[in-house]
Amino acid sequence: MLRSYLRLATRVLLRRKFFTAVSLFGISFTLVVLTVVVALLDHVLAPLPPETRLERTLAVYQMRFSTRDGRRGRFETSFLLMDRYMRGIPGVERMSLLSTQQEMMAYANGEPMVVTLKRTDADYWKILDFAFLEGGPFTEADVENASLVAVITEAMRRRFFGHAPALGETIEVDGQRFHVVGVVSNVSRLRPIPYSDFWVPHTTDKSGAHRRQIAAGGYVAAFLARSPADLPAIRAEFASRMQRVPIHDDPVAAREGVDRLVAHMEAPAETVARLYAGDDFMAVDEEGRVRLGRFFGALAALAFLFMLLPTLNLVNLNVSRVLERASEIGVRKAFGATSRALVGQFVVENVVLTIVGGLLGFVGAYAVLGALTGSEVIPYAQFRMNGRVFLSGLALSVFFGVLSGAYPAWRMSRLNPVDALKGGAR
Amino acid sequence: MTRHLLKLIWNRRRTNALLMAEVLLSFLALFGIATLAVYYTDNYRRPLGFDYRDVWVIEYNPKGYDPAFPNRNVHIYWRLFHALEELPRVEAVATHSWGVAPYWVPGGEFRDEVDGRRYVADADRVSDGYLEVAGLELTRGRWFSSEDDVVPPNDNVIVLNERLARHLFGDEDPLGRRLPWPPRGDGSRRPGELRVVGVVREYRPRGEFSAPGNHFFARHRVDDPESNGSSLLVRVSPGTPAAYQERLVARLFREAPEWTFRVKPLAEWRAANHRLRLTPLVALGLVVGFLLLMVVLGLVGVLWQNVTQRTQELGLRRAKGATAARIQRQILGEVAIMTTVALGVGTLLVVQLPLLDWLGSVRAGVFAASLVLSAATIYVLTGLCGLYPARLATRIQPAEALHHE
Repeated sequence: MLRSYLRLATRVLLRRKFFTAVSLFGISFTLVVLTVVVALLDHVLAPLPPETRLERTLAVYQMRFSTRDGRRGRFETSFLLMDRYMRGIPGVERMSLLSTQQEMMAYANGEPMVVTLKRTDADYWKILDFAFLEGGPFTEADVENASLVAVITEAMRRRFFGHAPALGETIEVDGQRFHVVGVVSNVSRLRPIPYSDFWVPHTTDKSGAHRRQIAAGGYVAAFLARSPADLPAIRAEFASRMQRVPIHDDPVAAREGVDRLVAHMEAPAETVARLYAGDDFMAVDEEGRVRLGRFFGALAALAFLFMLLPTLNLVNLNVSRVLERASEIGVRKAFGATSRALVGQFVVENVVLTIVGGLLGFVGAYAVLGALTGSEVIPYAQFRMNGRVFLSGLALSVFFGVLSGAYPAWRMSRLNPVDALKGGAR
Repeated sequence: MTRHLLKLIWNRRRTNALLMAEVLLSFLALFGIATLAVYYTDNYRRPLGFDYRDVWVIEYNPKGYDPAFPNRNVHIYWRLFHALEELPRVEAVATHSWGVAPYWVPGGEFRDEVDGRRYVADADRVSDGYLEVAGLELTRGRWFSSEDDVVPPNDNVIVLNERLARHLFGDEDPLGRRLPWPPRGDGSRRPGELRVVGVVREYRPRGEFSAPGNHFFARHRVDDPESNGSSLLVRVSPGTPAAYQERLVARLFREAPEWTFRVKPLAEWRAANHRLRLTPLVALGLVVGFLLLMVVLGLVGVLWQNVTQRTQELGLRRAKGATAARIQRQILGEVAIMTTVALGVGTLLVVQLPLLDWLGSVRAGVFAASLVLSAATIYVLTGLCGLYPARLATRIQPAEALHHE
């Protein structure tokens, strides 16, 4: 049955080449756009190296405060507070503190060069899964002794040393000379925890204010749980410790009249929702908690809105094709084909069409993603097609096919056989 | 004729409703992107009020500060400022605080009212050299100078841009008028007033593509013990090479070895700002462009199909003496009527935006221009779609149609 439907579908589609071409163009274009969006989402959400343990990672990016006279504000996570109060939460395998990326000037042969610097500790290299091309990470001893050592990316190595190895070379950044101890592959700008060009021990910070002042923010705390099952308990423990932080003892907080400090642990998807939607879809509440449902709901609504026009276009094309085939349908009806069989046949035809369009769309999306990666709009981002993206794209094209095939199929099944045989129908 | 066409359209209402819905959606998509494009173009043509060329922005790492000892930095700041002034290629130096620099989209706007007139304005706090660094054009009164050092600390001098001066005081002389300080909702601990001493022609720090807005400058004293600047701006002699940045930073390091400095020409801030604004426009433009192409091809297909289906009707008309031109007019007329209905509904929908006051900073002129532009484009496109099917319709032979029966 299905085989004969498929054979019929190919026949019909080849008969009217213009219509088929136009439909294919619309379908493949729609799926190019949707697949590119899915691939971008995949790029920010999926566990890609070096973030291979996303499912048991939590992070704290910001703290919000309110004062006695009603002012509110937020700042990037405090190193001191996390270091002092959040160590040793049960269920946490490792905890790392890393600075948010800072752009710094480096000078090579007199030409200014901007490097993105991240200050961190030794556990950072154990939470993340970096592939080292040369050397290795800096160690706990390096961090303790404030050694001027650095891990750099492949791109930095190219910029500073051309194709020569970088190990043991020195780079001057911010008036300090760092010895290169390791070289890693490039990291995408869109992954906030691993992204950087240049990693150094946090103790090399010249002012050292982050270790003295709670108000000196600028850090992110990353937590790796032993297992995903521990996450709720870790969040609860974090929240209860946060409430017990003696914030009134801090001189700056006392001077500013801060009486409440809140922070939340975020799963990676929550961070993405906060960064990309934030207040736009009210994906973040007053206290900074992320409402994931709203974010994905808004995304789905946007995708549906975008698909509306291509769907209508395809529906219109299909309706006129149905009417064109009135006599064929009339014959089948006259010989006793049920409406259901006809609807089934038409939907199969349409799904075949959308899947062919979908495959063309994948080729297009592949090209667009390659161009996006090549254009370096987003530094070091490698957008790729993969199994997840392919499956989501396929699901989308089937959804699209059914959506645009259903109404014309219904119209077809309702044709009066007598009218249909005469070839006239409204 | 029109009534007859309306009747024909009504007879095929279910099919035509879908077609009109498609035209309507295309119109809405086009209108969205056209509004953005017209809005940007309109803003871009207006004067910016400052000169971004040969200006370098020096930022320093805020971690160099110790929030517990804010006063400690004043001396360093003062030394840095004068070290820059003495460099041979530096023509002028200014400090800048509240927000970072031009082309950085600053966060806070001030909202308050003067004599019952509400205003929303951006504000900067800059030192005396900013007039020269930014190349501002003073049209009234005077700019900040050392004579303002002697005014009492709660009497702050400000310079407005002409738009804010006009908004607040109309045709009256703004010089010497006062604004309340601090603006409502700001937690500043220094009550007092702002006194207008001058007016500059224009100042739009958010960049060329942003809507022109109200702005005022407050004066920053380089030796102000309570507030540090957040960046330094220097105007360098034209043609200063980028390599000079290293010497400049080396000089700064001599004064403040523990600080961290970053120099970036304002032109680069500008380029980044433009990328940020234009990338979404280009991406959306491409998507809408392809959507429209898809719709156009789809419409051609559907109209073509319609014509072949209506062989009997059109043939009969030919047989009864209708000319080819009349047949063509009929088909195109039908398309035009359907487009008009769709655009009518679309216009009804989009005029809700100004009625609900959801336009934000988009001016009525921009809104109207984009409406007309997108409606005209849709007419042209649907007309083009109808052209080939209409030509096809004229080729129908009466005999063929009668044979069909």
